Amino acid sequence: MNRAGSLASDLGARVAPLAGLAIVLVAAAITSPSLFESASLRLILFQIGLIGITALGQTLVLLVAGIDLSVGAVIGLTAVIVAAHTDGSNGALPVAIILAAAAGIGVGLLNALLVIVRGVPPFVATFASFVLVEGAITAATRGAPSGSIPSGLHTLGADRVAGIPVPLLVFAALALVVGLILARTIAGRKLYATGLNPRAAAMSGIRTPLVVAAAYVACSLFAVLAGLVDAGYIGYVDAQLSRELNLESIAAAVIGGVALTGGEGTVGQTVCGVVLLAVLLVWMVELGTGVGGQLAVEGAVILVAVWLQRQALTQKRSVKG
Amino acid sequence: MFSRTRVWFVVGLGLLSALALAACGGGKEGTEESASAANGGCKPSKSVETAYDKAWEQGEEAFELSKLEIPPTELCEVDTSKWKKEEPSGGYKIAFAAQGPTNSWAAENEEAFKTKAEEMGVEELYASADGDATKQVDNIQQLASQEPDAMVVVPMGSSITGQVKAATAQGIPVVACAGTIDPSSGVVSTVTRSYELQGRLWAEWIAKQIDGKGRIAMISGIAGVPTAEYPKKAAEELFAEKYPEIEIVTKQYDDWSPTKAKTVAASLVGKNLDAIWSDSSFTALGVYEAYKEAGKPVPPVTGDASNAYLKAVQNADVKFALSPFPPEMSTQCLETAVSILKGEPVPNFVNVEAPAFTEKEKKKYVRPECSENLWVPTKLSDEELKSLKLCE
Repeated sequence: MNRAGSLASDLGARVAPLAGLAIVLVAAAITSPSLFESASLRLILFQIGLIGITALGQTLVLLVAGIDLSVGAVIGLTAVIVAAHTDGSNGALPVAIILAAAAGIGVGLLNALLVIVRGVPPFVATFASFVLVEGAITAATRGAPSGSIPSGLHTLGADRVAGIPVPLLVFAALALVVGLILARTIAGRKLYATGLNPRAAAMSGIRTPLVVAAAYVACSLFAVLAGLVDAGYIGYVDAQLSRELNLESIAAAVIGGVALTGGEGTVGQTVCGVVLLAVLLVWMVELGTGVGGQLAVEGAVILVAVWLQRQALTQKRSVKG
Repeated sequence: MFSRTRVWFVVGLGLLSALALAACGGGKEGTEESASAANGGCKPSKSVETAYDKAWEQGEEAFELSKLEIPPTELCEVDTSKWKKEEPSGGYKIAFAAQGPTNSWAAENEEAFKTKAEEMGVEELYASADGDATKQVDNIQQLASQEPDAMVVVPMGSSITGQVKAATAQGIPVVACAGTIDPSSGVVSTVTRSYELQGRLWAEWIAKQIDGKGRIAMISGIAGVPTAEYPKKAAEELFAEKYPEIEIVTKQYDDWSPTKAKTVAASLVGKNLDAIWSDSSFTALGVYEAYKEAGKPVPPVTGDASNAYLKAVQNADVKFALSPFPPEMSTQCLETAVSILKGEPVPNFVNVEAPAFTEKEKKKYVRPECSENLWVPTKLSDEELKSLKLCE
């Protein structure tokens, strides 16, 4: 295959998520026009915010060829810590947030430690953290978390500015910052280099363990933020939600085109994947497909995304070879 | 160019087939609830029937409904003489295959059992299923191997039937608690609040609020879980038979997660619904918050009775009807197990009584000083509530 062909397939992989989004939007508009009425639209925007925040962290980890399955547990942990520490008092919120962030950093460091020092595959290491944290939550709360969520968090989770849900604004700002860091800074280049080829990166003087650890810790901190957003959205500790956000954060990044093999992908792609997934999820509820349908569609979309990615990758390799 | 077209063809095909899957995959099979009469004799009993009807009558009255048609259920009194056993000096040894402390309902369920066991001088053998039916199969096997005098099971799913059968075959009388187990398992007695009662009571109240016609949504907990599926089925049957002018616009699940409940409800705000049938107060709470945020009047909604919901709506003008599924019904399960061991006749089905109520009585049931995790009304003592960190 020639160079032009490779460029075209590369472009294809990049454009595919956008085109997919366009298709979903059009199909949704035809089948359930009510999707774009204010209530549903607000829900989509909120979902973009919540899933998006976790997906940003997941993107960083994916870029260093990792994966983080402990995101959901950190979200749950955050809500439990905030409820237990504040018991509804706004005054205690700052300390509670610091405690939750500290716990998040702890989980991130544990993941990094297992992956870097012990060489545990990220999938296993972070799943172990997930089970550990969930177990600790259950043991400590006996299933009934004490305390309640302070009203101050409502602003973060459920308020709107000029009609736009605050979580979406938070996500947009963070996406911009992370995007700039990845595209324009040395730190960003180090992250890509580590993900693409850790040995080469190490030989060129990058302290790859630090880069990987930073990615896991950042991912956990994003999960803490998502936990705060979620707690503010409902005002209660939600013990059921965590597993789902684990999968959705990964799904969003992968649908957008971030490679599971590391080193490839941009925040723009993640944003695109997040929007696609959020529209899809709300659309499925509108259609009344039920859980089975929602999961099936989500799975189908991920499959297509990964398949397109592999195709682009093999074509590229065949050019190089 | 061809390959690009092909790619989109596949994308489209994928979406289409997924949709097709979704459309076909919703149905669930369920067995009717009825306890087994296969063990020993089970003779018809007026008192058992009266006791069963009592829970229905309380619901009718509280929801201000006219006389409900109670679906036929096999009710009788089980002769338990074949399980009669002298009480050992250390008390009866009774196994409790519990859900495990995965939520506050289970925490209260298990605390109540433990306290009652101590009170009655019963030795409790406890196993937690962590909410998982597969794990419960192992639990039941393990508990049975410790040769308890009787076993109480909070069923996590129909897949435990075989293992329960093995336990009963081993001579251990089993009581199904807060749920039903297939009668083929040989379970002696079932102690739960009837799913039929819950589903129909909520449905009748909804029908009354909208004068038998209008657009409603149904929101249930977890797909495939009996506690969600049976009340749903009972309500669907009632709507179909009795209220043809009620259109069920959509049926959703929210996994009993407050967040999902709110997002599902938010997606329904624009659908001009007249009422929402739901099986939990997680849903009722999500509905309340989503409509409130959208600035629209909250439609009448049903559910079970959590303090979280009552605290949220205690000063709001919202119509609701709640029918509790009380966690402390585990004490009745234990009492039934002990009765069996004493050789006293027991009902094959104990319809657990709990006060259903509407918004008119919210002030009576809300516990502002207690945690949102509390299920109301509770029979747990103040000390127990304190030790569970549920109340101050």
